[in-house]
Amino acid sequence: MNATTQTQNPDSSGSSGQDWTCPFCSLLCDGFRVESQQGGLKLVGSDCSKAVQGLASFGPVPSAPSATVDGREVSPDAALDAAAERLAASRMPLFGGLATDVAGMRQLVRLANQRGAILDHARGDTLMPVLRTLQDRGQMFSTLAEIRNRADLVVCIGTDAASNFPEFLRRCAPVEGAAFARRTVFVGASAPAGLQGEVDEVAPHGDLFDAVAMLGALIDGRRLPAADAALEGLAQAMRASTYCVVVFEPGRLPAQGTLITEAVLRIVMSLNRKTRAGAFMLGGADGLQTANAVTTWMSGLPLRSRVGPLGLDHDPVQYASERLLQEGAVDLLLWVASLGPKPEPPATALPRIVLGHPALAADCAAAGTVFIQVATPGINADGHLFRADGVVTLPLRALRDDGLPTVAGVAKALEVRLAVRRLATEDRP
Amino acid sequence: MSTIRLKGGRVYDPANGVDGETRDIGMRDGRIVALHPREEADHEYDVSGCVVMAGGIDLHTHIGGGKVNLARMMLPEDHRANRARDSLLELASNGCCTPGTLETGYRYAQMGYTAAFEPAMLAANARHAHMEMGDTPILDHGAYVMLGNEELFLEMLARGEDFERIRDYVGWSIDASKAMGVKVVNPGGISAFKFNQRKLDVDENHVHWQVTPRHVVHTLARALTELGVPHPLHIHASNLGVAGNIESTLATIDALDGLPGHLTHIQFHSYGKEGPKKFSSATRQLIEKVKAAPNVSIDVGQIIFGQTVTASGDTMRQFANADLGSPRKYVGGDIECDAGCGVVPFRYREQSYVNALQWAIGLEIFLLMDDPWRVVLTTDHPNGGPFTSYPHLIRLLMDKSFRDEQLARLHPDVAASVDLREIGRELSLYEIAIMTRAAPARLLGLADRGQLGVGAAADIAVYREDADREAMFATPEYVFKDGRLVARQGRLEAVPVGGTHFLETEFDPGIEKTIEQYAQRHLSVSYRNAKIGNDELCSCANGGALLACKVHGRRGGK
Ligand code: SF4
Ligand SMILES: [Zn+2]
Ligand SMILES: [Zn+2]
Repeated sequence: MNATTQTQNPDSSGSSGQDWTCPFCSLLCDGFRVESQQGGLKLVGSDCSKAVQGLASFGPVPSAPSATVDGREVSPDAALDAAAERLAASRMPLFGGLATDVAGMRQLVRLANQRGAILDHARGDTLMPVLRTLQDRGQMFSTLAEIRNRADLVVCIGTDAASNFPEFLRRCAPVEGAAFARRTVFVGASAPAGLQGEVDEVAPHGDLFDAVAMLGALIDGRRLPAADAALEGLAQAMRASTYCVVVFEPGRLPAQGTLITEAVLRIVMSLNRKTRAGAFMLGGADGLQTANAVTTWMSGLPLRSRVGPLGLDHDPVQYASERLLQEGAVDLLLWVASLGPKPEPPATALPRIVLGHPALAADCAAAGTVFIQVATPGINADGHLFRADGVVTLPLRALRDDGLPTVAGVAKALEVRLAVRRLATEDRP
Repeated sequence: MSTIRLKGGRVYDPANGVDGETRDIGMRDGRIVALHPREEADHEYDVSGCVVMAGGIDLHTHIGGGKVNLARMMLPEDHRANRARDSLLELASNGCCTPGTLETGYRYAQMGYTAAFEPAMLAANARHAHMEMGDTPILDHGAYVMLGNEELFLEMLARGEDFERIRDYVGWSIDASKAMGVKVVNPGGISAFKFNQRKLDVDENHVHWQVTPRHVVHTLARALTELGVPHPLHIHASNLGVAGNIESTLATIDALDGLPGHLTHIQFHSYGKEGPKKFSSATRQLIEKVKAAPNVSIDVGQIIFGQTVTASGDTMRQFANADLGSPRKYVGGDIECDAGCGVVPFRYREQSYVNALQWAIGLEIFLLMDDPWRVVLTTDHPNGGPFTSYPHLIRLLMDKSFRDEQLARLHPDVAASVDLREIGRELSLYEIAIMTRAAPARLLGLADRGQLGVGAAADIAVYREDADREAMFATPEYVFKDGRLVARQGRLEAVPVGGTHFLETEFDPGIEKTIEQYAQRHLSVSYRNAKIGNDELCSCANGGALLACKVHGRRGGK
C-alpha cells in the first residue's frame, strides 16, 4: 500500500500524496500534497493549521500497533475476543464517537444490528438543530463550486468561517476574471485576516438569535420601529444580490440553535421568491456527515437511532450520548475515533471498547476498557468521506502502510465473533 | 454444479415469444440451461399452478443518492412504523416512500424484482449513489448520469464547440461516473434556475447561455446514438406538472428528430389546459404522437393515492411546487455547477380534481398505447408513489371491474368525464411480463436479463395463480437471483450483494484536457477525483459484481 500514489505523477519529484485528500475537516481538500520527511508528514500547498496539526499527530514512524485489555498489552486477536465477549454480554450498547469512513460506518451499522445498539456521533449535539429544522421545514443549500462561481454576497452568521475550516473562504473565492465582485459580511463574528474582496462586519445589538430574526423580518420587508441600521443595509444587499449564500456553523450555535437554523432557512426561502440564494453549513466534522449519511441510507433513519432485531427507534433527545451515559441507560460504550486523536472517549464506569487513534492509548489503559488501535483514512488507510455539503464524497488514499486494521475490519471481525457465539448458543440443546 | 428445475409452470417469456406454455425451466451456475427431462436435478420445485416470469426490472426508481437520503432524513414519520422482521437475514431498515436501502432491496426482491435502476445520478454525487445501490441487497443496479445542465456542457453548446468534442465529453462522463445511461432533466432548466429563470420552454433560450432545451436534447440524443449507448436518452422533459405541458412534450419528441429517446414519467408531462379547471388530459394527443414515433419509448410514472415524497433534480419545478408540499417542507439545493435537487413531500388525494385526473391519465397511457414494448411500468418511485404499489397497479391494469371501483371513488367531475371509463382493455399476463421485464431489459440493452431463454441469467419470479392479481404479484411463491433462491412466499432466503451494470464507452481521451482545465478553474474537486475507477466502484458498490458492458461507437453515422 505504501506510496502507491507516487508512481502516477512523475513530476511530483518523489513526494508522496499527489492525490491526497485531507481527512482533518469536512472540507476534504484534495488540492494539497503531503511529503513524507524524516520529521514526519509535511503539508505542501497550504498552511492550514488544522491539517498541520492533524498530520503532526502521526509520528515519523508508525508506533507499534497496539491493543490493550484493561491496560494489558495483548495480541489483536485477544483484544477482539475480549471486545466480542463484552459486547455479547451487553443488553443496550451505545456506539459513540463514530469518527470513521463509509466502510467503517457500514460495518458498524451491521454490528449494531447484532446487539440492538444505539448510534450517536461525538458531535450529535450539533447535528440535532440542523436535523430538526430539516424535519420541520426543510433546507435550501448551496455547495462549494456554486459559491465559487455565483455568490456575489456571502453572509457568515456567528462564525468567522475560518478558525475551524481554514480553507473554506479560499476555496470558494470567485474564480479569476469572474463577472461579479464578492462581498463577504460577518454578522456577530469578526472577519479573518487577508480576505479578498469587500469585507464587512456587522456587530448587532443583542444576541445572535435576535439579529437573525431581525434580519429575516427586514428581508421580508417588514418595517421595524427599532431596526438596526447595519442589519437594514445588509437585508437590502441580500435582496439585491444575484446569489446570496448564508453560512453558519452548527458547532458554534448557542443553546437555542434550532431557532437560528430555522431563521436562516426562512431567510433563504424568502430570498428565493425573487432572487436566488442558498445556505451553507460548516459542519460535519469528525466524520459526522458520513456517519449520518450511512446510518440514514441503510436504516432509513438518521443518527440517534437504535437498530436491532426489534427494528428501529429514533429519538434525537433521549438517544444523546451524554444523556444515555449520565442516566445509565446503556451498559456499554463502543467508541470510534479513527480520523485523528479526537474525539476522546468520555470517561465512564461502563465497560468501554475503543477503536482509536494511537494517541488515545494512554487514556484507554484503565480497567474495563478494550483498546484497539485503528488506521486513519488518508494517512494509513484508504477510505471515503462525505464533505460538509453532504453531496460530494471523496476517496482518501493511504500515504503509508502502518499495518493497522481499519474500523471496518475490526467491526467485521467483531460481527463474525458475535455470529459464531450466537450459533453456538442456539445449537445448545 | 448444482442444478434446479422448476417443473410444470406456465411460462411467460415475451422476449422468446413464450405466452403461457407449460414447460420446465432449468438452472445451473446462475444461468438458465436446458435440462434433459430425464436428468435428475439437485433441487426440483413443483410449480404447477404457478406463472413463471423473468425477474422484474425497474428502469426508473429513485433508490439511491443524495436527494433520496435527504428525503429519508426529512421524513422520519415515514420510518416510525416497525414491520416485524420475518427472517434473521434482515437487518433493521424502515420506510415506505423512501425506505432505507436494505428495506428497498428486501421489498423489491420479495415482489419478484431482481434489478432496479436509479435514473438521476448527479456526476458530483455519483460515488454516493453507487454506495447506496451497493447497500441495496439482492438487486442488480445501475444509474443514468444526469447531463444537460452542467455549466461545462452548456458552455460548450453556447460557444458552438464541435459536436465530436461534445460527444467525447458525454462518453467521458458516462465512463467517469460509471453510468448505464444518460438522463436529461428539464433540459437546461436546472441551470437556468440558478440564473433565476423560473420557466423554460423547449424553444426558449437559457438566459445566460442562450441555448434552448431543443438543442440540448438533440445534442445528447445524437451523442448517445453515436457512442452506441444502448439505452436511449432518458428524458425528463420541460415543464413537468404544468397544465398544458403536452406542447413541450410533443416538441421534445420533435427535437429528437427520429433519434432514440425514452420519455420518462410521461404521465407528469401529458396535461392539457382545457375545461373548467384549465387542467385536462392530453393522453390522446400523446398516444397519437408516440404511436407514430417508433424511436420513442416511455415509462408512465403512475400516481398512487396516499402519502409519498417527490424527489427530483428539477429544482425549477420543485421550487415552484414547494408550497404544495404535504407535510409542508422543502429541501432544495444548487449543486456543483452540475445540477440540483428538490424534495417535496406530497399526498395524492382521490378527491383532488388534479390528482384524480393524474391517476386517470397514467392508466389511460398504459391502456391506449398499442405497443407494450415501448411502455414500461413505473410509478417513478417515490414521486408518483412507492414501488411497493406495483401489484396494485398491475391489478388496475388487468382488472376492469377493480379499476371501475377505484374510479368511482374519485373526484366526481373526473369520475364522470374521463376517457378511462370507456376503456375496456385488460392487460394480459404476457403484456405485463413485457412492461415489467422484457421491455426494460431490451431498452437497457441487457441481452441476458428480462428473459428465460437458455444462457440467460437465472433471475426468475414464480407467482401462484390468483384471480386477485394484486395478491398474486405481491407475494411470489419463489424468487431466484442468479440461480439462488432469495425469497419464498415473501420470506427472504438469502441476501446476496447485487451487481452494478455500467457502460464502458469509447471516446477521444483528448477531451480530458478540457475537462481538467474547466475543473481547475471552476469546480471544487480535483480533476483526479472526478473519475471513479473500477476498483473504487467495487468498494463503493460493496464488492458486488461489476457488470461492465462495452459499447462501440458508430461515429459519424446514424
Ligand atoms: S481546511 Fe480542512 S480539509 Fe482543508 S486542509 Fe484544512 S483541515 Fe484539511
Ligand atoms: Zn425525472
Ligand atoms: Zn424520476
